[in-house]
Amino acid sequence: MIFRILLYIGLGLLLPGCAALGYSLWEGPAAWSTDVRTFWGTPVSLFVFWIGIAHAGTLISAIFLALDIHLDRRTSMLAELTTLCALVVAAIFPLMHLGVLENFYMVIPFLDARENFANLRSPLVWDFCCIAIYGILSALFFVIHLGSHKFEQLKTLRKPMAWLLFPLVLWVHTIVSLDFAVTFVPEWRGAFFPLYFIAGAIYSGLAMVIALLAAEGRRIRLLEKIMMAFSWLMFLFWVWNFALKGDWSVSAFIFGALLPQLWWVSSIRENTIGRIAIAFSAILGMWLERFFLAAPSEVAETASNFGWIDFGLLLFGLGLFLSLVAFGRIRLRKHFDGDDILIGEVEVALESESASAPANAAPDKTTTLSILRFPLLLGILVTILYIVWATSQSFFDTFDLPVVSLIPIVYPLIALVAGIALCARNLWEIAPRKLKLFFVIGVGMIGFAAGAYFAGGSSAEPVGEISGPKPNTSDPALSTSGLALSNTTPEALWNARCAACHGVDGSFNEKFVREFYPLPQKLSAGRLDSLGEDSLVNVILNGRINMNPYGGRISREEAVGLVRHMRALAGEDSIAGANSLVGTDSLVVEKSSAGEDSL
Amino acid sequence: MDRREFLKLCMTMAAGFTLFGCRSGGLTDKLSGPALKDFEDEVRRAMAQMKPGFRLVKVPMPGEMKSSPADRENRFGMAIDLDACDGCGKCILACNQENNVPLVSESLAKQGRFMHWIELRDGIPTMCFHCSDAPCEKVCPTGAANHTPDGLSAMMYKRCAGSRFCGANCPVQARKFNYEDARSLGHAKQFNPQVPLRDKGVMEKCSLCIQRLQNDRMNFKANAGLAAIAGAKSGLAGITGAKSGPAVGTMSGKISWRGKGLQTACAMACPKHAIIFGNWLDESSDLVKEAKVRNLYAPEGIAKLDPSVVYMRGRR
Ligand code: SF4
Ligand code: SF4
Repeated sequence: MIFRILLYIGLGLLLPGCAALGYSLWEGPAAWSTDVRTFWGTPVSLFVFWIGIAHAGTLISAIFLALDIHLDRRTSMLAELTTLCALVVAAIFPLMHLGVLENFYMVIPFLDARENFANLRSPLVWDFCCIAIYGILSALFFVIHLGSHKFEQLKTLRKPMAWLLFPLVLWVHTIVSLDFAVTFVPEWRGAFFPLYFIAGAIYSGLAMVIALLAAEGRRIRLLEKIMMAFSWLMFLFWVWNFALKGDWSVSAFIFGALLPQLWWVSSIRENTIGRIAIAFSAILGMWLERFFLAAPSEVAETASNFGWIDFGLLLFGLGLFLSLVAFGRIRLRKHFDGDDILIGEVEVALESESASAPANAAPDKTTTLSILRFPLLLGILVTILYIVWATSQSFFDTFDLPVVSLIPIVYPLIALVAGIALCARNLWEIAPRKLKLFFVIGVGMIGFAAGAYFAGGSSAEPVGEISGPKPNTSDPALSTSGLALSNTTPEALWNARCAACHGVDGSFNEKFVREFYPLPQKLSAGRLDSLGEDSLVNVILNGRINMNPYGGRISREEAVGLVRHMRALAGEDSIAGANSLVGTDSLVVEKSSAGEDSL
Repeated sequence: MDRREFLKLCMTMAAGFTLFGCRSGGLTDKLSGPALKDFEDEVRRAMAQMKPGFRLVKVPMPGEMKSSPADRENRFGMAIDLDACDGCGKCILACNQENNVPLVSESLAKQGRFMHWIELRDGIPTMCFHCSDAPCEKVCPTGAANHTPDGLSAMMYKRCAGSRFCGANCPVQARKFNYEDARSLGHAKQFNPQVPLRDKGVMEKCSLCIQRLQNDRMNFKANAGLAAIAGAKSGLAGITGAKSGPAVGTMSGKISWRGKGLQTACAMACPKHAIIFGNWLDESSDLVKEAKVRNLYAPEGIAKLDPSVVYMRGRR
């Protein structure tokens, strides 16, 4: 019942939240308050906040399971559900933070046909990989937990999965903290940032789980104690940060460190409302802390910029989270209420000490290891292959120490492959027919997307995109394409603009024949004639597939000249070799600098 | 009303609100571009809202870039003579016109978020310093911010996803973010047809007038290349009639392009000739000749990052 109420509250918050989300998607980053110096604002702080909450759930469930600390089913299930829902919420904010939303896929570290590669030195790329992998594995973990209710063979997988996830949780949050720690912003620098972030994440996540458990009618003292320990840790961090840099946000300190200390008053601690209030104070404190972190300069000014859109986004996060958790809880109530004891779980009566339960049903470490051995080896192998492949890409020639920049995604990759290898067979066996079909279709679609990614989009300007003033390409005053000479011949233009790919004599430039896909078209006489002058001129001006548009750079007349030159070259196909021998020789100098054209 | 219905209602309302949020604002398409006077006014306004300056520290003369890939013949850059500069702001306007830098709306202007690629900070013109070890490029997730072999920190607008990480990581805040769609707001004017107008949501900054460099390079390749062929054919060595064409330097006997005689828009606009553009690796360029006898400075935040743009003050 309580979850139904929560669902309605969540949906109620979602309505204004959606309006704010829609508005800010339309308006772009100008909609919310952003820091004048760092350009970052509300979505980033919300992202860090929700990703923190997303960590505590799996942390509680996986780490406790791995360490043989027993939790009852309701608690661990709820914790895992919290993780999944918080991850969904967290994933929305970095996306909406982007200025050009539709370019988000360029962050994926995968090559396309033009050898564009995401910049693997950037913490954002690490972030993206780590969180995507964390989401996939957390979902797997949750599914296994759900399934182990019905299928025996899944039970043995839970513990190995927990061991995979345990380091991943810490790893992922370290990476998130690197977003800030590697920068030049003075307030963000510091080697202690990863620890600070992890502590904050666990702290806020625990508070959230405790608040939700209260709704469940549960109370786990162990969790409360851990939360209190973390409140002290945060207290120390804040004091240290103050001593180091002089940053101090009073409100975060009061809500995050001071108010939770009321837990020591027994009348508040024993009261459900009191416990919820303490948990919320901790959550609020951590949110404030994240907020001031993302917008470090002129804290006071940023706070005054905090408008209704920012509030709306806040509500959106909260509303979506509550609705997802409550909805999941209601839909899965069968699984929550199951009274059988699972491995790593013991039924604990209300208000009982969970840690004191005996470790009777835990499988010993050796079986865990033997189950994990093969998937782990596979994961390591695949990761090594990926690294070798990635560093062999020409992109990596452009900076030093490429291998070091790959380290942050090493463990997540291993965990991903190992986790999938671990669960794939068992899940496949038990999955119903329909699910298998969906799965196959899903894999097909991912393959299709990867293919589309590799092929890359057309470089032509979308028709009608330019709505404002447009350069008039046929204006004779602009026609010399920046070439200062009035007597620029088509041949000269061809050598300057086109020869790098199409070759001086109209046959391919060897270099690009090898590296480009699709290949530049062969300029045979027959083909040119069948296409016709007009369409070729249009291709030159507007671009096509991998051919770049030259509309702003050369005039229509020049394009016509180029097409005629092309035709002339093609007509001489048979004798071109003999005629241009001298020419190609002396142009070796030029070819060596051809790479500069692609700036 | 039963629960199912209620949920359905909530869903539709949520979708409706999202759409409602999307609807408002931004629908006014003004096609008439702004006048030159608007740009002049904005430059004046930006100068009135002057930002604080940076502490300057001494730096050595820029040489070959340490980061790869580095060209051994060209590294372009500028030196700004602080003894000559009187902070008139003409360079800002010239840069705006050369690079089609748009105007901003009132709300952004109030916060000092102008798009100008040059800003006067404490009276000193400040643009991107084209650090060879550029921190902005390191954190760009897509690789839209990258380095050319000849020393420019370049931006590929089409590859930019607008994460603004580069902007956060530039120690001198040289990067500008397109918060609004300048085109549909009627804030943009394409003074220069060779430079594209930028879309909403991408980062931009001083490009060291890359279009001028590229044109000159193309010009060289088109004409000097042909001249070389002609020369080879007729048995003449080198090129003789290239006076009207781009200036050409030679290195180890081969003809190569050194960007001689080129000027950036800001350098051309400065009445005091305080901004000198040139090739740091070309001993005969005005830039190197002048910088050799002056003390060179850079803002403290980037002094260690090997900037290509430096300040000059006092004689050695
Ligand atoms: S001055 Fe700023 S924007 Fe320019 S290269 Fe250096 S870090 Fe990048
Ligand atoms: S070099 Fe060009 S782009 Fe850079 S500030 Fe000067 S005029 Fe603007």
